[in-house]
Amino acid sequence: MSTADRDQANLPMDPLPIALRERVMAASLLARGVGETVPAVPAISADEAFERAADAFYRLLGTLSEQGWKTAALRGLDVQELVGHLTGVEHDTHRALAGDPAVADAEHVESTQGSAVRQAGRSPAETLDEWRRAADHTLELVRPPGGDLAADGCTGRIAVHGIRLPLDDLLVVRAFELWVHDNDIRRAVGLPPSVPDPPVLRLMSDLAARMLPYAAARMGLPPADLRLVLTGTGGGTWDVAIGEETAGRESLAIVADAVGFCRLAANRVTPAELGSHITGDEGRAVSVLAAATTLALD
Amino acid sequence: MEGSDALLAARLAAGDDRALAEVFDQLAPSVYGGALRVLGNGSAAQDVVQEVFVELWRRPDRYDPAAGSLRTYLVVLARHRAVDLLRSELRRVARQERHYRLTPAEPPGTASDEVMAAETASVVRAAVQLLPDGQRRVVELAYFEGLTCREVASAMGIPEGTAKSRLRLAMAKLETVLDRQLLEST
Repeated sequence: MSTADRDQANLPMDPLPIALRERVMAASLLARGVGETVPAVPAISADEAFERAADAFYRLLGTLSEQGWKTAALRGLDVQELVGHLTGVEHDTHRALAGDPAVADAEHVESTQGSAVRQAGRSPAETLDEWRRAADHTLELVRPPGGDLAADGCTGRIAVHGIRLPLDDLLVVRAFELWVHDNDIRRAVGLPPSVPDPPVLRLMSDLAARMLPYAAARMGLPPADLRLVLTGTGGGTWDVAIGEETAGRESLAIVADAVGFCRLAANRVTPAELGSHITGDEGRAVSVLAAATTLALD
Repeated sequence: MEGSDALLAARLAAGDDRALAEVFDQLAPSVYGGALRVLGNGSAAQDVVQEVFVELWRRPDRYDPAAGSLRTYLVVLARHRAVDLLRSELRRVARQERHYRLTPAEPPGTASDEVMAAETASVVRAAVQLLPDGQRRVVELAYFEGLTCREVASAMGIPEGTAKSRLRLAMAKLETVLDRQLLEST
């Protein structure tokens, strides 16, 4: 009887030698560490991620017709006004980088509404040009000629729109928002959704995973040890400690598509729409996913 | 298990070591059993199991869920590795035989050589049964009874050149037979 026959007949397999499992796991993890993805995704800097996201957004806007620019996109804003909102975000980012406390706790939408409505009567080319210059200026501010951000005082946390993050994380947040609105516009004008470059997606996945404890704390979720596995190129594996170190913590595992998880963190899909695979208490895991949606700035 | 193979493969690619542990717990007995049946030796079969799972962890993208189940992929991989190991061992034994033929006095083998030779003998025996009588007897005398080619020739009452020729043919045939067995088993 072949092994396949034996398998199908559900006959007992040969007993495994004791300690073989431990030996195999140890040898495997020597060959490749936990969280290292296959294929490996090249690491890029946060400013590179922002630049790539900005370039992708610029390319999309360049394809839109006059009518496309006037299509309703989000929160009552048409595409042109939404681009104006993003210009406003860049301007507030410039002020935050300069240490202006006025933008630290400014509300994300409210603070940029003026920039959104100012687009009325402008041509799409003017709106596009203003946003591109604002995005380029962000890059100029975070890439000083000497290449030393510390010399420009950018080593600490940058506070803007109620978030306080290291500069690199802030730039990933900016890349995240550009990608999210890129897809808002695509949906509005009937284009298929886009997926970030794998290195950009990897940074976005990593940031969303690392921000989960803060989102969970805001929601008052009980302590848990979460294994988060984000599949697809640009994903990875994270062990996330939620809440305080206490005995008897819930052990949860969530497996989801990396792009889908980023859409969840942008509040563009619900936990039910994400289609994740959960191990452990399903209700607790769904609460964690619901908490992730609160990371969105919109 | 087969229904979740694509998910397991995606988790492995994402670097989730718990997925590897799950695959091991569910499929290692089949992989070990498959290797053990080819090699007939537990220690060598364990080496094959390790090689197969390290390979799966290192290159999970080589498994295509659309092409078949993870169980089939791993068992076939194990049989390939086991046959590779067996062929390698056959070549080692053949080299040793040539060395003995060129050496006036039989050199004392090390303990590990003797253990390996004994293990190899049990594995090769089944394949040897498929050889023609003349070649089978040469192999049995040379490998299982430890005779040199000259002694084999004397025991069988044939010229030493004929014994060598039969041994060469037998070795080539054994490799072919083992390959065919592998193909049939997959």
